[in-house]
Amino acid sequence: MTPVVPPVVEVGDLVVRYGTATALDRVSLTVGAGELVALVGPNGAGKSSLVNAIMGIVRPASGRVRVSGRVALVPEGRQMFGDLSVDDNLRLGAWRRRGRPGARDTSRVYEVLPELTRVRHQRAGTLSGGQQQMVAFGRALMAEPDVVVVDELSLGLAPMVTAGLAEHLRSLNAGRGLAVLLIEQNARLALDLCGRGYVLEAGRIRAQGSADELARSAEVAAAYLGGPATTAEPGGSGPEGTGPDGTKRGAAKGGGTGPGGAVSGREARP
Amino acid sequence: MSDFLQYLISGLAVGCGFALLASGLVTIHRVTRVVNFAQGMFAVVAGLTAGSLLSAGLPHGLAEVAAVAVAGAAGLLVGLIATGRRGTSAQSALIVTLGLGFVAYAVEIMIWGDNPRSHPGLGGSVQFAGAFVQKQSFLVIGVTAVVFAALWLFFNRSYPGKALSACASNPYAARAVGIDVTRMGLVAFALGGMLGGTAGVLLTPMLPISYNSDVLLITNGFAAAVLGGLNRPGPALAGALVLGVAEAMVAGYYEAAYQTVVALALMLAIMIWQSSRRTALQEETAR
Amino acid sequence: MKPSPRVLVAAAVCAAALAAPLLLSEAQVSVYVLLLLAACVVTGLSMLMGYAGQVSLGQASFFMVGGYTAALITTHGRPSWLGLAAAPLVAAALAALIGVPLLRLRGHQLAFATLAVQLILLNLVGQQEWTGGDIGLQGVPRLEIAGYEFATDLSYAYLALAALGLIALITRNIVASRPGRGLRALATSEVAAASSGVPVATYKLAVFSLSAGFAGLAGGIYAFYIGYVAPGSFPVLLSFEYVVMVVVGGAGTVYGALAGATVITLLLQLLNNVGTMEGMPAAAPTVLSYAVYGLLLILIVLFMPRGLVPSATGWWERRAARGAPASDEPDAAPVRDLARTSP
Repeated sequence: MTPVVPPVVEVGDLVVRYGTATALDRVSLTVGAGELVALVGPNGAGKSSLVNAIMGIVRPASGRVRVSGRVALVPEGRQMFGDLSVDDNLRLGAWRRRGRPGARDTSRVYEVLPELTRVRHQRAGTLSGGQQQMVAFGRALMAEPDVVVVDELSLGLAPMVTAGLAEHLRSLNAGRGLAVLLIEQNARLALDLCGRGYVLEAGRIRAQGSADELARSAEVAAAYLGGPATTAEPGGSGPEGTGPDGTKRGAAKGGGTGPGGAVSGREARP
Repeated sequence: MSDFLQYLISGLAVGCGFALLASGLVTIHRVTRVVNFAQGMFAVVAGLTAGSLLSAGLPHGLAEVAAVAVAGAAGLLVGLIATGRRGTSAQSALIVTLGLGFVAYAVEIMIWGDNPRSHPGLGGSVQFAGAFVQKQSFLVIGVTAVVFAALWLFFNRSYPGKALSACASNPYAARAVGIDVTRMGLVAFALGGMLGGTAGVLLTPMLPISYNSDVLLITNGFAAAVLGGLNRPGPALAGALVLGVAEAMVAGYYEAAYQTVVALALMLAIMIWQSSRRTALQEETAR
Repeated sequence: MKPSPRVLVAAAVCAAALAAPLLLSEAQVSVYVLLLLAACVVTGLSMLMGYAGQVSLGQASFFMVGGYTAALITTHGRPSWLGLAAAPLVAAALAALIGVPLLRLRGHQLAFATLAVQLILLNLVGQQEWTGGDIGLQGVPRLEIAGYEFATDLSYAYLALAALGLIALITRNIVASRPGRGLRALATSEVAAASSGVPVATYKLAVFSLSAGFAGLAGGIYAFYIGYVAPGSFPVLLSFEYVVMVVVGGAGTVYGALAGATVITLLLQLLNNVGTMEGMPAAAPTVLSYAVYGLLLILIVLFMPRGLVPSATGWWERRAARGAPASDEPDAAPVRDLARTSP
């Protein structure tokens, strides 16, 4: 369970408070270099607080957040600069690296996400949800990150679109060794994609382990895989739809096509 | 006819001054959501500073630029106080800028006294299609055109300008990509100070200025800016020109005393008309 | 039964207010009268800001309307009590009239709109012959009610005190009433208030015109007391001063309004005394008063956003409840926080 690779994100005993309300209570987690890690949990579990703490947007009351290398965020709800063009959105992703030669060159994003080439001069606010999510990916990539934090990949998107995006994530992970912390309400999607996962509930880590272990755990399955948390995924309605066998996830770091196909196949079955 | 042209051009010139002031308000509001009540103060400070520097022997041009820089510093200071403390809401910041206006009164009276002052601008007038028009009017119009073009280029073509627009468009995302939104707000305040200052140094030769001229300046600037919802410089420019010309026409053909009444009534009408197309829910969610 | 601290405080404030004119010198009584009149205006504005959640930067215009109404009626030979009675009514009616379109605006828009209204009124009043132009109306006779002539400063002090008492009572009753609770909801969220059945527009208009009526009553007394009215007596700065008083005292409470008016008036008087001391430059009183207005406003908004009175009572209650789990949230914006005077 402990990653053998050195961690790029290390959160230890993190406490975040707003006034007297405790949003995160001694949360610890790690993301190893090149690892795909899922964090699942219901609404209000403290996922956004964790994201904001990792990104340095909120200051923790105690505990530590260590990020070695660069971290970029794909924020919840895409968060486009709606009045600006797709190209400008991408360029602003390189703000932390401004001044470096070629930092604002967007062509490398279009290589990875060719779907965006067509709309590069369009105002980001006019794009579809899936396209915006892709711009948000691209914007994060412009920071040349070692790890991306993806906050709610599937929120508000059709399953087919989500599957395509998940595929992109997987190949970025496989091709470039990009570490990913995927924060999701849709536990099935997250555990299919990632090798390891954590379950966050009411500000605390309730369970952790390999994606298989988590998917097999009766508790998690009942709470997240069959429950209302999967409403975004019309295919998986009953608890009998437990995750497929674990071999896929073990392969997450290797070539991603096989398991990806499996995921998109399942996701695309409306 | 020549009268009309004369009123039109001097009205456009005054309108340009309002436009500069309004563009400062818009720049600050876009990025920080703060309606800066001290915007008129920037113009007063710059106008009075330019006069002092000129009488101290500084040449034209240098004195005005230095005065605009002083206004920019004043803008930065206002921004620091109004938005520097974490958790200050935009509404509280408005009241803080009102308070800063008072403090500025104290400073201005100490330095310059409480009588209206003016300084010579571009002297003389030119005959233009039968009308005598002050050269200063053309200067104001020309400088405003240049400033607006530069602003447009800055916001639409430069990387820092786009980062400012990004803060206006989506502060959360701006923070996520590493833009320091608070610092960008200060940049906006400094820029707003310089824009207000430019209005001040250009208008002072045409309309003598005293410490409390800021109320009329801010109301006119606000009236113009509100046309673009305080967020768009284009409509603000148009609104300012309409205001300036309307005031000049009222003063020229009817009664100078009523010119501000017309401008203010126009502002009220525009705001009420705009509000009739908007609901409380839209405003509260847009907050 | 022991009287509650609340009652004791109220009794003490009343006793002090009633005794004060008798103990003060004549010059001090005139400051006291102006203080009470300011408190009348500020109580109304405080309700508007604290309960309807709206800032008016033109409250002095209703003070002015009251003053001119009383002066016009009396200088045209009508009885002065009629002038006094008409002052609040005309001011409230005007507010009700302009409030219909104006109150569709919120936040900074309403602030600027009310400021514009005052600038327009000042401009118009300064142009009209029947209002005396820039010179204004001179020679307003003394107020006479049922044969009693209010001739001394002392009599005006008690008159102003009676007016303020009436205003405080009305405000208190409204705040404690059902509509008052609706108003409190209004300050927090107009949408939430509306969806829970509060007739938002009506309430806002009622508070707006009531606050204007208070200002009008004060303006009427002012006209009789000073003996003349002119545009110069009602500058825009006076409106700002009222806002400063509300913010300093704490919006939405009667005591806050009283405290704000008292603190600011006394402070200004003190500064005036300092500024006119020998060796001070001629501009010193003005400079000092502007500087203090500004600094006070900034410091209170930034560091004590609820104002003096709510902050002090909050501190007192916390002290009294010591031992109980800390339930106060000094960082979370309280309902009456200026921050919530919603746009």
